[in-house]
Amino acid sequence: MAQYTAPQKQGLGPGFWPVTIGLTILNVIMSFGIANLDIDKYLPEAAAPAGDIDWLFKFLSVVGNAIFVYVVGYIVYFCIVWRRKASDGPDAIGIQIHDNPKLELWWTIIPTLLMIVIAVFSVRIWISLQNTLGDVLTMESIGHQFKYEFRYPRLKQSVYDDMHIPVGTPITLHVTSADVIHSFWVPEVRIKADMVPGLVQTLRFTPEKIGTYRIICTEFCGKEHGNMVATLHIDSQQDFGHWIAAQFKAQGQGSGPINLASGQSAAGQALFGQKCSTCHSVGEFSQKIVGPGLGHLLNDPDHPNLVTGEKPSPEDIAHVLVNGYQGPDNSQGKSGPSIGVMPNRQANALSNADIANLDAYLVSLSQKS
Amino acid sequence: MAVAVAHAGAVDHRDHIHPEPEGFIAKYIFSIDAKVIGVQYMVAGLLFFIISGLLAEVVRTQLLTPTGAIVSNDTYNAVYSLHGSGMVWMTIIPLVTGGFGNYVMPLQIGARDVAFPWLNLVAFWMFPVAGVILFSSFLIGAPDAGWTEYPPISVQGPPGTSLWCVAIFLIGISSTLTGINFLVTILKMRAPGMTFTRMPLFVWAQLATAMLNMVATTALAGALLALFLERQFNVPFYDPGRGGSPLLWQHMFWFYSHPAVYIMILPAFGIVSEIFPTFTRKPIFGYKMIAFSSIAIALLGFMVWAHHMFTSGMAPWLQLPFMILTMVIAVPTGIKIFSWMATLWGGKIEFHPAMLFAIGFLVTFSFGGITGVFLSAVPVDLHEHGTYFVVAHIHYVLFGGSMFGIFAGLYYWWPKITGRLMSYKLGVIHFWVTFVSFNVTFLPMHWLGLEGMPRRVAQYRPEFQFWNDVASVGSFFLAASTLILLYNMAQSLLHGKKSPPNPWGARTLEWTISSPPPYYNYKTIPAVLKNPYNFGEPLPYLGIEPQVDEDGKAGVDPIPAHA
Repeated sequence: MAQYTAPQKQGLGPGFWPVTIGLTILNVIMSFGIANLDIDKYLPEAAAPAGDIDWLFKFLSVVGNAIFVYVVGYIVYFCIVWRRKASDGPDAIGIQIHDNPKLELWWTIIPTLLMIVIAVFSVRIWISLQNTLGDVLTMESIGHQFKYEFRYPRLKQSVYDDMHIPVGTPITLHVTSADVIHSFWVPEVRIKADMVPGLVQTLRFTPEKIGTYRIICTEFCGKEHGNMVATLHIDSQQDFGHWIAAQFKAQGQGSGPINLASGQSAAGQALFGQKCSTCHSVGEFSQKIVGPGLGHLLNDPDHPNLVTGEKPSPEDIAHVLVNGYQGPDNSQGKSGPSIGVMPNRQANALSNADIANLDAYLVSLSQKS
Repeated sequence: MAVAVAHAGAVDHRDHIHPEPEGFIAKYIFSIDAKVIGVQYMVAGLLFFIISGLLAEVVRTQLLTPTGAIVSNDTYNAVYSLHGSGMVWMTIIPLVTGGFGNYVMPLQIGARDVAFPWLNLVAFWMFPVAGVILFSSFLIGAPDAGWTEYPPISVQGPPGTSLWCVAIFLIGISSTLTGINFLVTILKMRAPGMTFTRMPLFVWAQLATAMLNMVATTALAGALLALFLERQFNVPFYDPGRGGSPLLWQHMFWFYSHPAVYIMILPAFGIVSEIFPTFTRKPIFGYKMIAFSSIAIALLGFMVWAHHMFTSGMAPWLQLPFMILTMVIAVPTGIKIFSWMATLWGGKIEFHPAMLFAIGFLVTFSFGGITGVFLSAVPVDLHEHGTYFVVAHIHYVLFGGSMFGIFAGLYYWWPKITGRLMSYKLGVIHFWVTFVSFNVTFLPMHWLGLEGMPRRVAQYRPEFQFWNDVASVGSFFLAASTLILLYNMAQSLLHGKKSPPNPWGARTLEWTISSPPPYYNYKTIPAVLKNPYNFGEPLPYLGIEPQVDEDGKAGVDPIPAHA
């Protein structure tokens, strides 16, 4: 009883190809517009991944815009051409077509290919974000309700609210939180990471444009979440040097003379346990852990000099503590093979008093034996 | 087909006819009739939609100025948190599953009720109770950490956060029960001859949604229970200082909440899939592909949850499978959109308000889908995550998608439910005001996010004021457009023209019986011969009551003798 009438062979309808050509021209023009859009003008690209990320954004915009223009264009066009007209009787029906496997195959294949292309570009840029960047400034930022803390490797105390970094130096930034989840976002760098308590995440970027930018919290963190901001200063190398020097000075590191006479050997011993004993024993010079044993600095007949080649005196010990050491072992009065590196006072976060105390302790070791 | 014909009119499902209840309470309050329960879901859902919508207006009023001095920061945080929670769990999910699902799905498969009517009653009543608990949290300090309630901030949050846990837990159980109920109903209670490929597409969508509801919601229940225990009894599930992990919540929450996106959108797909054939007078284009892609989306939806967590902290290599699987979902979604467009081609398109909302859905949902691809690409997401770009995207898919689908469905099935017609003209005005003000509200949020405005802030930088003001003005018109709908509904209920059984000339089963349908739905269960969407052919059903005249009186059958 049900009679099936095969669909009539139909044209695509009036104006289909002109509309398709029109939409295509519109898409080409808009794609050029998007491709030539200078995003940097609206939101500066201040650091290295920003350019790559904006490129991917523009690529997605071209693809997304093209799809959207075709979708909306055809919807509007179909609605005009295939609208029910006054002349249509109440029983007028549309073209009874159920499917078109060929067409459906194409609109499965083309989006699949587009997604593959998008995925390939996304993965490539994703990989570049994971690369370590060679010679880096490694530092930390810790989120608090409602401020940012920054830790520099050579500064003993943290700084708050202002993050200074030198232009051109790859930055490795470890972020975490002291209380709830925060986020570290610099719109001009285009990347962010959540600051999760109990978890350290890493952001890598290379500042390229000198200026000041906003660090913004994007994870709700409490009443003042909206006001949790800090300032990122991308400084010239010179300005950064001045800033870090001022910080050393403000924190009492490296300013003024070191008063060795005030050193407390007991305090020095405690500090030695914290800062030095990982690498140094208090035995003979030859009892090495990483560096040599320091128990007989002033009176070891086999090693009459410090590794710097200097005569062992309290002042010269202090000199090594301040500057660290790198290079050959000169303790025998001649240039020996390299015995590695000792970080300087900034890296070890040693104040003037710390150096005096350590010096006193090291001198007391030599005097005991 | 011969088998189906042999069965026609002889099938007796009388065990599923429960006697017509008597008395107001049994009929309208504690009814076990899926249609009454469906209407109850819709009424309650609409009420929570209005409340949650007013909360959104508080948010937009606050954001008129950069210093936002209308409400305190604490109140602001509570307001947007309950706006989100109310819209997701108390409005969209109950409306698309409990509301349209209960009313339309049994009618469309030729059943007299759902498989477990009493379970349905229990599931429904959990919903208004959960809604009241959720909004009563305002009395003791409402939750303030957004609808996602990430710990540890939610652990420290106001006392009402525990009520939030209870409310969402309850609505979760309700969803799970409804999921089981619908799954069994669709699998076991279809009219004879209604094979899977003869099921209306709305039923396909409800089938996919029921699976998601049944499986995914349990993960949310676990996460909520753990949060409740940590808050009330200090059990450190999420405290990193005591061996817990904040990311545990995020994984469990999104393992539910990403499928929940599809719980909200798949039924809307189903609604527009019914409306397009009816108002184009054409079979839906690519029936099998639309049905299959619903199931594909539902399955893929379980494998992409961590794309909400690209900045949260997980093994970096894990970002890649989640990114690529997310992009894969664009393919079945695209197939649906292209199929609907092809349904428009060659049609006799009638711009009924239901059809306008369905077309509007196609435009706005496509836009939201495209910005979804932006967010799926990890490098771009690192910039956009947590900003107003995400706020814009979520509203394009949930308002421009789910809510537009709900409005379309409301206009479409209103005469079937109430027996009265709504004003065509007011419906058209409602659509255009909604469509324009929706875009004015949410389109500028894309720029705001890209230029650096984070979400969930009560104050913002002065240079963002212009677009915020545009969005706020748009949202006021959006609120006003809802008044047009409410007025239209009230007018229709009080003075509306009586509707014939089939005012649109639609072809699925529910249009073969009177409007509103009798409480037992079908006197005899019809037999189904074909897919419903072949216009120009006789209806493919055997055993249906004769069609009725315009005044809608005929077709109302006497109550079956045994009842």
